[in-house]
This record gives sequence, structure tokens and C-alpha cells, in this order.
Amino acid sequence: MKIPLAAPTIRARLTGWYALALTAMLVVYATATFIAVRHEFLEQLDERLHDDFEVAEGRLTRTADGRVGWAVAHEDAHDSESRVYEVWSATGEQIHRSGAPTPLPPIALGATNTSYRYETVVANGERWRTIAAPVTIGGHNVVLRVSRSEERVREELSEVLLVLVLGLPLVVVLAGVGGYLLARRALLPIDHLASEARRITAERLHERLQVPNERDEIGRLTTVINGTFARLESSFEQLRRFTADSSHELRTPLAVVRGIGEAAVAERRSPAEYEEAIGSMLEEVDRMSGLVDTLLRLSHGDAGTIRLSRETLDLGQAARDVATSLGILAEERNQKLTLDTTSGVLVAADRLVLREAVTNVLDNAIKYSPDGATVAMRVERVGDEALLAISDEGPGIPPEHRERIFDRFFRVDASRSRNGGGAGLGLAIAKWAVEIHGGHITVTDRSGGGSEFRILLPLAQQTAAVDRRSTQVYVGGSS
Amino acid sequence: MPLVRVLVVEDERKLAQVLASALRAQHYDVVVAPTGEDGFFQANAETFDLVLLDLMLPGRNGLEILETLRKRHVQTPVLILTARDGVDDRVLGLDLGADDYLVKPFALPELLARIRALLRRGRPAEVVRLKVGDLELDLAGRRVTRAGRLLDLTAREFELLEYLLRHQGHVVSREMLAHEIWKEPRRATPIDNVIDVQVARLRRKVDLDGHERLIHTVRGVGFVLREGEL
Repeated sequence: MKIPLAAPTIRARLTGWYALALTAMLVVYATATFIAVRHEFLEQLDERLHDDFEVAEGRLTRTADGRVGWAVAHEDAHDSESRVYEVWSATGEQIHRSGAPTPLPPIALGATNTSYRYETVVANGERWRTIAAPVTIGGHNVVLRVSRSEERVREELSEVLLVLVLGLPLVVVLAGVGGYLLARRALLPIDHLASEARRITAERLHERLQVPNERDEIGRLTTVINGTFARLESSFEQLRRFTADSSHELRTPLAVVRGIGEAAVAERRSPAEYEEAIGSMLEEVDRMSGLVDTLLRLSHGDAGTIRLSRETLDLGQAARDVATSLGILAEERNQKLTLDTTSGVLVAADRLVLREAVTNVLDNAIKYSPDGATVAMRVERVGDEALLAISDEGPGIPPEHRERIFDRFFRVDASRSRNGGGAGLGLAIAKWAVEIHGGHITVTDRSGGGSEFRILLPLAQQTAAVDRRSTQVYVGGSS
Repeated sequence: MPLVRVLVVEDERKLAQVLASALRAQHYDVVVAPTGEDGFFQANAETFDLVLLDLMLPGRNGLEILETLRKRHVQTPVLILTARDGVDDRVLGLDLGADDYLVKPFALPELLARIRALLRRGRPAEVVRLKVGDLELDLAGRRVTRAGRLLDLTAREFELLEYLLRHQGHVVSREMLAHEIWKEPRRATPIDNVIDVQVARLRRKVDLDGHERLIHTVRGVGFVLREGEL
């Protein structure tokens, strides 16, 4: 089970990691240093022993009776405390001993018959370093051993160790403090950023954070946050507009209903006049319920509570169905409605929702094209997407409005509002219906005038291999 | 013919009144129950030909009433009225034994049409010839004549006329047409326009010069096929 701990701040964590890493490095470094120093000290000791040995060799003399003797030098006294000189006969008898009184273990003769032999021995709880080698003096083969106490070297090494061991925590603490300050300094801009960002509330969404340096990490973070603010601002703006527009669109028919009703009851009228009044009230109510339905649908869509029942559909067939349904509207206006399809462009879509999208876009194209114009639908495969393009000969969409054409309640020509048709929700519904399928909808200007709406949807998995093109004129034809 | 008895279980007084007067105008015998308790009591105590049941009621939930009625083997057709258009509510209602449902705000003509359909249920209604005045529609031969003259109708126009004829004398809303003839699940402005244009064309073919007008527009409501002026 995890114990919930308050998560430490980044600063604390940085400091911790920094101190930990530094400690690890220092331990390794100190160990290496100590090993090197120790090795160096012991080597020096051996070198000094070797020098001692050579001096001692010079002291060996031959006595008058033909035995091996020891010439005493006057400088022996001052260092006799730390050294022992011994001469051993080939048979293992000690011939001479001088220096410190510490009783050293006897020499092992077997191995000393060739060259210098270094050895560490323990006597009276002290460690002694010895050097031994065979020497021939006046025809006698003897073994000379010189020993030095290691105690001084060991003491020095202890001091070094002490310095290292005591110094380490100190350095680590200093490093921790340094790391903390460093981390604080590095993170200061983030604290600053946080307090700046906190300042920007729903009412002040137009404000942005200052970017001191775009290229460093903080600068990039700031840019990202600013981007989020920009998107948030535009969503807020959209929501505000949507709310204002919905209440406007709902209030207008309410006002009309009320006005007609009040005018009708203000004085006695003929049945025909009452009928007229009631009829026009009903029309408004009808319009209003349509609007409420659409708004509810959009808000369901926003809330993501609409479930799609997807099936594999032929996009060409879907376009054909809508063209059949709306063809009569084009016919009324002497427009030509054509459909250019490639068969086997399959999409996985909810039939009814997709139909909604196509219906709204096609209706739009018919509505805004002049009498006698041609409205052309085209279905084809573009890369790994299915394209349904609908082009009209309408006035086109000014570039400054192209972004907003799919916004709810947006109308290019505000004066067309209630008489030209819907409340400006058709394309918003279409956009929603396309995007819920993972597709996207765009609009471009056609070179010959008019616009082309392009609905792009992901192709279904089992797209047929055979493409058969066909062009169909729905209405208009050659007449 | 005995009067058709309809029980309206609806707590909203105004809506209950409207429903009652509309149904009485169709010569139904209407009993209004303003609460769920009352509705349940009435449905158990008396015999009705149809129950209009609001789902959101004080006292007793509409679905509960429906469930209890069906458990007691009261097989009266039930038409549910609901303000919620969540699929779950509908499915639940139909599962519990409702015969049909309508989402508020509904158009009165549609409600009346649904009621007629429910009351007609179970009776053989195989008609091959529909007729009003001198307009005749032959379902088997798919021919339409006006005063003996053959009319040249498209398939859609034929369907539309058939629907209007089947509901002759009753107003048919755009909503009903969108749903029944165009098979559009949702009413949208484009479809309304399509319906208007289609009806206008049908009218041009059916209401020939010198003949009585049969297809009438009821402003704000829909269309009606009938003899004589409104």
C-alpha cells in the first residue's frame, strides 16, 4: 500500500538529487584518493627501507677472528627507536641485533636466498615492514634484515582518512545549500510565471504572459501557456456569442408571438383575422421549437452524449440519397444539380448523422446559388480520406468570414437573418456531424466564383478495390 | 357507434385542457386525471379505449402506472407523452408495454393521427381505393384520377397524396410528412422547404382549374385534404 505523502516541491527534489549525486561522486573520489595515497606512502616506506638496507650493508664488517661484525656509527642513536637491524647466519642464528628493542619474529630463511624480500610482520601489536636479503661478507653467507615500524605511516594515513571522512559531510551540506539556491534561482521564473498566470482570470483573458526569452525552456513554456490562454479566450468568446445569439434568436419569436397575441385580443376581430393571427403565432412557435431542438442537439453533441451507430456506407450513395431528397429545391429554381461519384468510397458513419451534414451543406449551396446555376456534388477518394465536395455558384464567402462560417448563428449577410432561411445553425450542425465522425469540413473559393465545401471523412477499412466513376444529372439536365 | 373513451393522465392543467378539448372536437369521450394516483385509479376502475399518459407526474410516475397496469393485464393501448427525448426513456416505456410515444412539444395533428392509428389497430383496413370528392387513388394500379382524368404523378407525389388521403379531413403536420414520407428522423429547415415545394407541386396537379380545391394549407400547422372550404 502506498502511503500518501505530500509530494515534495521540485526545488526540494532537485536539491536532494543534487546532494545525493554529489555524495556518491565524492565517496568514489575520496576512496580513490585514499587508496592512491596509501599506496604512495607504503611505496615510500619500502624505498626508505631499501636505502636503510644499503647503509646497513656498509656497516657489516669482518672481525679479526674471521666472523661477521657490525660497525657502530654515531648517528645510529637518533633513529634507533624506529628501526631494527638484524644479521642472521645461514643456519638461522641471530648474529647481530641493534635498534629498537621490539622483539620481531625470527626470519624465515628458505625464501631469502635470492634477492630482496619485503614483508610485513606484527610484533607487540605493531606492524613492522621488513626488508631482507642474503649478503656475503668475507666469504660468509649471512642474511641482513632491516625493519621499520609502519606506525608513523599508519598515523599519517589515519589523518588523511579523518580529513576525508570529516570533510565529506561538510562538502555535501555545502553542496546541498548550493544546490538549493541554484534550484531556487532556476525555478524562480516558474514561480513568477505561476503568479502571473493566476492573475489572468476569466475577465482578463485577453492578457498574456510576458515572454522574456522565446528560445529558453521558460520561454517555450510561456508560449505554450499563452497559446492555451488564446484558445481559452476564443472558446469563452464563442460561448459568450453563442449565449447572446441563442437568447436573441429565442426572444425574437417570443416577442413576435406575444405581439401578435396582444394585438389580436386588443379589439374585436373577424374570425379570418383571428385565424390569421393564430396561424402566424403557430409559425413562430414552430420556428422556435425547431431552434430549441437544434440547440439541444448541439448541446448534446458538445456534451458528447450522442452515440453514433456506425455502419459501412457508400459515401456516393449517401450523397445520392440527399440529392434525391433536396433535388426538388434546385428544380424549383431551375438549377442544375449534378453528382459525380466514384463507387466504393466507403466510410464508417452513422447514416442519419452523416445525412444531416450533407443535407445542410447541400441546402446551403442551393439556397445561395442564383436561379439557373449549377450545384455540383463530387465524391472521390483523396489519399486515405473520402471526399464529398459540394460546389455552388453563390456569391462566395469573403476570406474574413471563412473562419467563422461554421460558427453557430453566423451569417455572412446579417440582414438575411430570418427570411433567408434557418437561424444560421445549418453549417454548425454540419461541422459537428462531420467532426464527430473524425472528419473535417472546409470551404474554399472556386476560381469561377462561388464556394466549394469539402467534407473529408476517414475511409472505412474495407474499401472496395474497384472504382467506377459515374456522373449523374439530378435535375436541370439539358433542358 | 359507441363513443371512444380516452383517459388523459396529465398534471399540467393547461395542456390537459387543450388535449381534452381537441379530443372532444374529434368526438371522443374524454376523462382527465390530473395526478398519477387518480390516473391509476381511473384506469383500473373503468374501461377505456386509450390512455394518454404523461411520464412526469406528481404522486406516481407514469412508468410505474404503466407497469402496474400491464401487470394487472389491463391491455388498453397506452400512448406516452414525455418531455425528455432520451432514447432510454422511450425504450423503457415501450418495453413496459406502451404502444406509442410522443415527445413534447408535439403537434396536435400528429397526436390525433397516432391516436387514430392506435384505435384502428387490429381491424382489417385493407383499402385498395382511396377517395375524396372526385379524386380517386387506386393503390393496386397506382393510378390517380381527378374527375375521371388520369393524373401523372411522381412516386413521391403519389405517396404524399396517399398519406393525405388516408388522413383526409385531418390536418397533417410537416413533422408527420418528414417522418412518414421522407423518412427523415429529424425535422430540419431544408426538409420543411422540400415538403412545401412538394405539396405545392402536388396541388398544381391535383387541384386543376375549374375543380374544387382539395389540398389546403393550415397556416402554422400543416396541410389537410378535404372537400369544402375550411
